[in-house]
Amino acid sequence: MADIALDRSAEVAAPPRATALERFQHHWTALALSFPALFLMVLLLIGPVVTVLIMSFTDYQLGASTVAFIGLQNYRDLFADRVFWTSLGNTLKYVAIVVPASVALGLGIALLIESGGGLRTFYRAVFFIPVMATLIAMAISWEYMLHPQFGLINLLLKAVGLAPHAWLTDPALALPTLAAIGIWQLFGFNMVLFLAGLVSIPRHLYDAAALDGAQSAWSRFWLVTWPMLGPVTMFVVIISAIRSFQVFDTVHVLTKGGPNKASEVLLYTMYSEGFEFFRSGLAAAVAVIFLVFVLTLTVIKARLIEKKVHYA
Amino acid sequence: MKLRTCLLSAALALAALPALAGTEIVVQYPYGELFNEPHKQIAAEFAKKHPDIKVTFRAPYDSYEEGTQKVLREAITKQMPDITFQGLNRVRIFVDRGIAQPLDGFIDSDKGMETEGFHQAMYDIGMQNGKVYALPFAISLPIAYYNIDLVKKAGGDPNKLPTAWEEAIELAKKIKALGPDINGVTYAWDITGNWLWQAPVFAQGGSMLNANETRVAFDGPEGQYAIKTLARLVTEAKMPNLNQPDMRAAFAAGKTGIHFTSTSDLAKVTEMVNKKFELKTSLFPGVVPEKGRLPAGGNVGIILTADPKKREAAWEVMKFWHGAEGAAIVAKTTGYMPPNRKANEVYLKDFYAENPNNYTAVKQLPILTKWYAFPGENGLKITDVIKDHLNSIVTGARAGEPDKVVVDMTADVQKLLPRK
Repeated sequence: MADIALDRSAEVAAPPRATALERFQHHWTALALSFPALFLMVLLLIGPVVTVLIMSFTDYQLGASTVAFIGLQNYRDLFADRVFWTSLGNTLKYVAIVVPASVALGLGIALLIESGGGLRTFYRAVFFIPVMATLIAMAISWEYMLHPQFGLINLLLKAVGLAPHAWLTDPALALPTLAAIGIWQLFGFNMVLFLAGLVSIPRHLYDAAALDGAQSAWSRFWLVTWPMLGPVTMFVVIISAIRSFQVFDTVHVLTKGGPNKASEVLLYTMYSEGFEFFRSGLAAAVAVIFLVFVLTLTVIKARLIEKKVHYA
Repeated sequence: MKLRTCLLSAALALAALPALAGTEIVVQYPYGELFNEPHKQIAAEFAKKHPDIKVTFRAPYDSYEEGTQKVLREAITKQMPDITFQGLNRVRIFVDRGIAQPLDGFIDSDKGMETEGFHQAMYDIGMQNGKVYALPFAISLPIAYYNIDLVKKAGGDPNKLPTAWEEAIELAKKIKALGPDINGVTYAWDITGNWLWQAPVFAQGGSMLNANETRVAFDGPEGQYAIKTLARLVTEAKMPNLNQPDMRAAFAAGKTGIHFTSTSDLAKVTEMVNKKFELKTSLFPGVVPEKGRLPAGGNVGIILTADPKKREAAWEVMKFWHGAEGAAIVAKTTGYMPPNRKANEVYLKDFYAENPNNYTAVKQLPILTKWYAFPGENGLKITDVIKDHLNSIVTGARAGEPDKVVVDMTADVQKLLPRK
């Protein structure tokens, strides 16, 4: 990628009758100028990724003095491990719950704030707080609220005559509960993105729609707002998906993947393989698989954004 | 050969005294809230006797897991403390990776070990591949906690508490029958490192693997007995599915008749119960005479420094920390039991007379054995696999088929053992 860019800059810069020496010098200057950026990119981005990739083909263990290449054995072990499939399934389920809910909620609240009168800044700030807060600290507050015996949520349920639940220790509820916290954490961010999108919709489109007979709020939304939000929505969906894939802190603090792997997710599997079981090679294999998912999402995003989704 | 070792150690002993002057020994230990006090007090005593060696502490590890991680990472960057205190079942990892330093040279050349209360069972706990790499510092053992008020109400005899599982389950059933919000029994099955899975198997005289560690051995009669007992606690004694803090809270609130867990909980539980009811500890049931054993929990001291002069000083520190005086401080400031014989028999005599609940563990001291760590690179993963299988019984999902669970568990663990 970098090479192509360099070649092009050389072509543009070089005058038509440049001698070979001049071309060479230009080439060098370009290379020297881009060197710091390239160096840092290799050091901080490409280097670690390649290291992880190589590590996933070894039997390396944390603190071990010897390393040997074992080919695809880590991947074979991983695919034969029930825990990995549970973990992958849970992660996909989590994404499937959190993405639509946080996008819909973000959009809904953005529309309400935008159409409302006063207190706009106040609402914006309030809904954005979960995004700013440290998730670990918030997870601890959630832990108290969800406590089976004296948690606020169960107390409220009891007060209105409903049965309390063991939110984090019931295998059927653990993952949905974590997903709810995930939504709470994410929708404020989506809301801000949607607000930005809403502001950039030209007013005259609404006027035109009104002239054409679109009177109801719904038809204004369906005919103008929603299509104009296309690019923003696409961006929000992809970003939410990537962030949901990365769920880790709440799992680590609240459930540790339990009960009985009911809330085990990819990043937590990676953590426990690498830092609890010390099977670093295997943890690297999980990291590679995780990377593939996130990379796929990023490529989709890049493609679609380049196309500039536009319906107007 | 023998003569040479003698001469060498004599020379070392002579050389040691002046050479150690000004040596600094860095120590790191886990669970600050439990162990800050004993380490601080022992260090104060040590400073009086050995002004030549300076002991400094690093911030305590949050947990055994974190402690192991940290040392493994520091081994790569060469920033390890000189002495580390680690979970008893973690010795194997450090030996396998060549990080722990053997202590045999010191133990053999030190003539005063026996009179200072050290004994063979203490060495056995930290032994790996025939060499001693660690000394036990604070020991915990699985015991039973009884709510004597509930035992009496259910018609049990507080002076003849159960020693067999059969009796324990019968008593738990009677206690359970006292009311819908009363638990007959709780069993802290999820203590780290499969501790309370190893306990009933070892108590029957069984083991986790065969002697040369190539095949699973807990599918034998001992393991089957253990897993069926766990299932009976769920099916017959109606054990609720709680995590450890909730079990402890329920017991302390007077809602549970029998609670099986570690002696290390004793101080905390006693404080929480606060004389609301009569609390009594008793022996872990189902220990077969002669061959029955119980796994020791708690933590051990390991010397990490490879520098000969520092090792010399580190050994002086270890000897004091694990010796009679250090051990007595451990017993008085924590719920843990020191394994040192002299400490228990001399320094702590009055203490145990006043605190009979603390003495239960000391009674079980002769049947102490190693908290087993599985071999090979998947050792800790195996622990997790076993935990999940046990969980399937405790949640009730597979409580009706313990024999099938043990078969599946055996197959899963066998797959993860080193292929020799």
